[in-house]
Amino acid sequence: MTWRDALVLAGRSVRRRLGRSALTVAAVALAAALLTALLAIASTAQTRVLEQLSSGGPLSGISVTPAAGDAADLDEDTPDEGRLRPIDAADVERIEAIDGVEAVLVVQRAEAFVIRPERPRGGEPFVSGLVGVDLGRPSLLPVTVLEGRLPSSGGAPEVAVTEGWLERFDVDVADAATVLGTEAMWATGRLEDDGQEVRIRGRWVKATVVGVIAQDVGAGSMLTAREVVDDGRRWSASGVDGGRQMGVSPSTYAGLFVVADGVDQVGDVRAAITEVGFTTSAPENVLASVDRYLRVVEIILAAVGAIALAVAALGIANALLAAVRERRVEIGVLKAVGASDGDVRRVFLVEAAALGLLGGCAGATVGWGIARLVGEIVNRYLAGEGLATVTIDFPAAIMAGTVLGTTLLAVVAGTVPAARAARLPASDAMGGS
Amino acid sequence: MRSGPEALVGEAGTGLRDAGATIEVRGLSHEYPTALGPLPVLDEVDLSVPAGGRVSLTGRSGSGKSTLLTLLGGLRPVQRGTVEVDGVDVAGLDAEGLAAYRRRTVGFVFQHFGLLEALTAAENVELAGALSGTRPRQRKARAAELLEAVGLAERAGHRVHQLSGGERQRVGVARALFNRPRVLLADEPTGNLDGESSAAVLALLEGVSASDRLTVVLVTHDPAVAGRAPRRYHLDGGRARAIPIQ
Repeated sequence: MTWRDALVLAGRSVRRRLGRSALTVAAVALAAALLTALLAIASTAQTRVLEQLSSGGPLSGISVTPAAGDAADLDEDTPDEGRLRPIDAADVERIEAIDGVEAVLVVQRAEAFVIRPERPRGGEPFVSGLVGVDLGRPSLLPVTVLEGRLPSSGGAPEVAVTEGWLERFDVDVADAATVLGTEAMWATGRLEDDGQEVRIRGRWVKATVVGVIAQDVGAGSMLTAREVVDDGRRWSASGVDGGRQMGVSPSTYAGLFVVADGVDQVGDVRAAITEVGFTTSAPENVLASVDRYLRVVEIILAAVGAIALAVAALGIANALLAAVRERRVEIGVLKAVGASDGDVRRVFLVEAAALGLLGGCAGATVGWGIARLVGEIVNRYLAGEGLATVTIDFPAAIMAGTVLGTTLLAVVAGTVPAARAARLPASDAMGGS
Repeated sequence: MRSGPEALVGEAGTGLRDAGATIEVRGLSHEYPTALGPLPVLDEVDLSVPAGGRVSLTGRSGSGKSTLLTLLGGLRPVQRGTVEVDGVDVAGLDAEGLAAYRRRTVGFVFQHFGLLEALTAAENVELAGALSGTRPRQRKARAAELLEAVGLAERAGHRVHQLSGGERQRVGVARALFNRPRVLLADEPTGNLDGESSAAVLALLEGVSASDRLTVVLVTHDPAVAGRAPRRYHLDGGRARAIPIQ
């Protein structure tokens, strides 16, 4: 008997005992749903927590500050900064050449006088940092977008503002969306001395607010394209005293954000950057600790799901054993017609696999639905708290693993009933006589 | 398409390969283990059936008729004695050999029909082909041919519960003949049928036997049915006694 014939026969048997088959499939489906939902939620929670720790950027991100580094501080995630050590283009090139570095994003900063021309209510102009980064690779930035999007480079200036900016203009975080599309203005100042008097001359920039981000970035409250900030910085630096009194740092770059090839490379890359001469910080230790903790949680949740699956497997074994008892004559007839022990075993194993497959598919689908439902509830809470929401991605690997796992488990559970059926004597065919 | 018993054995049925087999049973004994000790059922049974012969086995309930049939058909291991079918000792076959023997050499017709309820009439007939490795297309054609021959072409797609007792038994006969067996073993084939259906099934079996010299062993407790066989054995006290034809 071919596998196809065994499948047809098993399928007919399942259909004939529809009630019992449905109950068995339902038990498997419930277990599979539980497993899928738990793993999908655990996986999302892990991603969310790690993203929070890495500020939305890659887990392998390293912050480099314009301060002298000390190799003795490498064991600390956020060491104390040493004396000022400016970062220039040559330093960037040296860091880019380090083995294990995937990308280096430069950060520039300028002091700016910030106003909000369309301000509908309270809040006063203030002086704050304007931070510029390379917006060509937004996925590498350690920034969590609460509303809207990150600014784009090129074209009319766009800006993303921080929660600090909202606070200064009396906008509640829960109403962050209301500032999208409004205008923000700032001026970088140049100190001029014509021999008679010293005065500050401002260069004004008007930009559209396109996003609200969760963190204050580089001690600034606005994030925009690096070119915009570089213009402002140059303007300030072209004044008296090289712009020192206007807050221009001797360091061309306010910092770097270095992305290592992988989390396991972070330590080596940090050491190499320290050798170049800069202080680095990365949440590698806390990430590792949290990751280990989350793994334990994931294992526990998987174990809960696995126990449910084991119970379901026992259900399959029980249902098939009952079927073997009921179908003694039928099995005898199969043998009388010429079925070998292997043929009979195959029919029951295929039947077990079919029950596991059906239950696994149904359970994985329901589990995905449950995970999304839980995600919705969690998101309502997070949104209410003004926090970034989570996205429960389609857990393709988890679902495929669940379906495969339930099918294999069902086959294992069906082994004993199948062996018992195969051992039944052909003379049982006479049982109905 | 041909119909009637001659169609049952098909084209290959006219050749020597498909002619009935001789059956030689010598010193066959069988007992069942019970809590009170072994229960002997057959005791030194001797029996001969020539190739293409038609034999009826009679005896009261518990006389060992069905046990003898299962031993002839390789459904049960031989404990003592020999069962030779065309010179091949069935007792010497291993599990795979017995399965092949049941698949190719014998065809069974059961009192309870032995049909799989989950399948249609045609699928039940095809089942024998699935087990013998017949390709699906040939399998379907052969099943259609056999169902036509037993007068059930219109009922091919019907499930077992939709068939009458007589129709079920005719499907059982069609399935038994699917692989062109050389021996047909029938256990009370008319035991659950009314008079008209019984006559139809018996005519079918006799036709098959006559058309291709198929060896038929038929167990029955109905003297009228037994009397239609040219050779009769009666089981009593564990022994088989040949009954002379009147």
